Amino acid sequence: MTTKTKAKANARRTLALDILNHGALALVALLFLFPFFWMVSNAVRSNAEVLAIPVRILPAVFEWDNFAKAWTTLPFGRFFLNSVIISVSVTVITVLVSCLSGYAFARLKFPGRDKLLMAYLATLMVPGIMLIIPLFLIVNKLGMINTFQGVILPVAFGTFGSFLLRQFFLSIPLELEEAARIDGASRLRILISIIIPLSMPAIGLLSLFTFIAQWNNFLWPLIVMTGADNATLPVGLTLFQTQQTTAWNYIMAGATLSMIPGVILAVVLQKLIYNSISLNAGMGGR
Amino acid sequence: MANVTITDVVKNYGHLEVLHGVSASVADGEFVVLVGPSGCGKSTLLRMIAGLESISDGDIEIGDRVVNDLEPKERDIAMVFQSYALYPHMTVRANMAFSLKLARRSKDEIEQMVNRAAEILDLSTLLDRYPRQLSGGQRQRVAMGRAIVRNPQVFLFDEPLSNLDAKLRVQMRGEIKALHQRLGATMIYVTHDQMEAMTMGDRIVVMRAGVIEQIGTPLEIYDTPANSFVASFIGSPSVNLIDGVVQTQNNQLVLQADDGAIWPLPSNVNVKAGTPVQLGIRPEHIYLDPAGLPAEAFMIEPTGADTHVQLRVGKQLLIGVFRDRPDIALNATFHVRPDVSRAHVFDRVSGKRIGA
Amino acid sequence: MAVVERIAATRAVTRKRKNRLDRGEGRTAFFFLLPSLIGVTLFLVVPIIASVVLSFTNWKLLGQPQFVGFANYIKLFTADPQFWPVVRNTLFFTFEYLVLNIIISLGLAVWISSLKMGQRWFRVIFFLPTFTPGIAVAIVWMLIFAPGGFFDFVTGSLAIHLPNLLTDQKLAMQAVIIVSLWAGVGYNTVLFNAALDMVPASYMEAARIDGASAWDRFWKIRLPLISPTLFFGTVMTAITSLQVFDQIYVMTRGGPGSATATLGYSIFQKGFQNFQMGYASSIAWVMFAMIMALTAFQFWLQRKWVHYDN
Repeated sequence: MTTKTKAKANARRTLALDILNHGALALVALLFLFPFFWMVSNAVRSNAEVLAIPVRILPAVFEWDNFAKAWTTLPFGRFFLNSVIISVSVTVITVLVSCLSGYAFARLKFPGRDKLLMAYLATLMVPGIMLIIPLFLIVNKLGMINTFQGVILPVAFGTFGSFLLRQFFLSIPLELEEAARIDGASRLRILISIIIPLSMPAIGLLSLFTFIAQWNNFLWPLIVMTGADNATLPVGLTLFQTQQTTAWNYIMAGATLSMIPGVILAVVLQKLIYNSISLNAGMGGR
Repeated sequence: MANVTITDVVKNYGHLEVLHGVSASVADGEFVVLVGPSGCGKSTLLRMIAGLESISDGDIEIGDRVVNDLEPKERDIAMVFQSYALYPHMTVRANMAFSLKLARRSKDEIEQMVNRAAEILDLSTLLDRYPRQLSGGQRQRVAMGRAIVRNPQVFLFDEPLSNLDAKLRVQMRGEIKALHQRLGATMIYVTHDQMEAMTMGDRIVVMRAGVIEQIGTPLEIYDTPANSFVASFIGSPSVNLIDGVVQTQNNQLVLQADDGAIWPLPSNVNVKAGTPVQLGIRPEHIYLDPAGLPAEAFMIEPTGADTHVQLRVGKQLLIGVFRDRPDIALNATFHVRPDVSRAHVFDRVSGKRIGA
Repeated sequence: MAVVERIAATRAVTRKRKNRLDRGEGRTAFFFLLPSLIGVTLFLVVPIIASVVLSFTNWKLLGQPQFVGFANYIKLFTADPQFWPVVRNTLFFTFEYLVLNIIISLGLAVWISSLKMGQRWFRVIFFLPTFTPGIAVAIVWMLIFAPGGFFDFVTGSLAIHLPNLLTDQKLAMQAVIIVSLWAGVGYNTVLFNAALDMVPASYMEAARIDGASAWDRFWKIRLPLISPTLFFGTVMTAITSLQVFDQIYVMTRGGPGSATATLGYSIFQKGFQNFQMGYASSIAWVMFAMIMALTAFQFWLQRKWVHYDN
């Protein structure tokens, strides 16, 4: 064999291995996606078919209107709205509060600044589940059980946002801000007109992760929202679990609804997510 | 327009004092350059005038108004930064209009003022671009445009040309000077580049380590430097300094250099024998003279117009600048004559100039 | 004399005026921090302190709390028959989940990084469960694991004789771990994949020229280079897995028996079903102590396997 044909054969072999490699992982990915498929497949069949033994992979009869029924009768529409109200409110409050405090930590001189920042960082160590009981008691004391403010306010003042935005604000050249001061801008004006527009990547990231965390939050709304009408989607999903005749098909339809925003965000914002996680990877606990 | 008066100004960060009570005054319409090596406090002083740094002690007046406690916006000043500090998310027009908007000027007024400034700086075609779409020189001009739209009493420049390449720097130097002549405004300009200081300033303030070493016109500073630091900081290549002790020889004062060589001193210098001094001779005051001292060239650097020659007279290393291409060969002996009448003498202990 | 005094007086006045700029900044900072400070105090600082105090009381939501000293803790460690099984379950879950999570996510990350095309789509696929509600995930899996459900169907078809996972004392925890892995490997996969992407190609090329095999290149070059990220992922995963709750609430409610009752589930059960607020708080502090201890242990361990280049 000449070296040329040898090289050709080699190239063909690597190509074949490459295709095999991609194909194998694609298979793994498909298996990984199976629960999503199973959820949707069971959402669009009758409840009797869900419980049928042996199981059927695809429904015999597709009942697409199960989504509409779950949306109105169970009422996942109401739960969806509650989830939106809570997640959006927490996100908006978190971003506003974090912008203000992050700016103060990044750019304003005041006595005890570094100590306060360390205290903020220290609170990040405390796991959320530990605070559930005292938070519940505080909300109870404030008479906010089963109210939106009761579920929103206690989780809207996390210190992570202050810290994240502080770090990002520090990377904005100080001279921009000094130029703005000389142009006659107040601190609030600088924050609104200069710092925030230039920090959209970080603010976007904070909004995304805050929104998703609240959208997926379960224990806290479960405890505070005692009325069935005020349940969020995750809480709503569990409400019907204990009934004697569990309407599994509707629950699967509700589960599908609850996953839609996260799936869309994960696909659309994959670049932002990857970049933010690779930032973590770069710092690697250092 | 306004004058700026600085009186006994001190700046400290905690226990570290970086400005030790400096005083200077800038007349209305004057172009003053603050120059000195990095860390001398020139930028800090400028930022204190701007209101970006608080004043630890002393007073700063702008137009007969003490501004110590005023916010930058209340001082009626404008500033051009080293990095230009253009708002990256705003167009050139929005950058220039920002301060006017904050001052709640009417739309028409803003339009008119921005256009006028754009015209002065030849920016009219760039108004709708973003800073990232501009070249270094254009950004520099936008930064100046942002300063002039408001018609401030005083312009402050913080090393505005140091991010430009050499050729553009010379061009912008001219443009800033022209702008000064056109506007007739008071301008204070910080640089570490003595060449910029010499060519641009009506007067120069030379600073070192938090104190002002000398204030004067460029030629005053060049011709009669107040001390050996100023002498060596201003001028390129740097002044030759020869260490020695004053001696009397044939009823004339001479310098006995540390290596034993004898150098003549300027005839009118007022100094006693036995004083340790430094003799400062500018490179261009060393002439070729067949009747002069024997010298040996160990490095020859032609710049085109001039030739810089590093040479050795006895054991003393000197640098000389000669017009055109002098007939000097490397490592060969030739003869030079320092023009002692234009030399400077400094006290070796205090560094202070010893005059006539 | 009078002149000197006058100068001194003006100096004093100017000195006093001096700090106005700095003071203004401090005032601005105060107003900017105020919303955050109020929120953090009310919903973070007070609860932390309250949690400590509560753990020394016998408060049952109704009636007056009584200070009982260390009684809750003593009861936990010596008298409560449920406590030690719960601790054991939590540690069992944490250990198995942590090890499998890191192995699977690292494997997937390496596999994805070996691809020439479509890396980002594989990343998105494995990341999807991270962005979906854990409760929904658990409910879907519960259907899969339900008696006669899809899982039993598969094992039956393969002639593997297994009892139903959710109803079996020994296997229920395995079901919880499978669900947790499915939901949790995505984040670490993306994290490790990003770290692998950041290893400069020149290192691998240099190793290749030095004659290192693909096996050696992985174990001796790539793995040590991403070890800080592996460490970070391990610590964060351990902290979250000690708090496991959602999956257990939906799938097993701690059962069968107390086979899957964990500390997180105990806090909920004691606090919000039995309303033993004081007792539940003491469990929360035990959990916090375990989180701190495990994290400290990992930091101690990292000296042996984590390589930092500076």
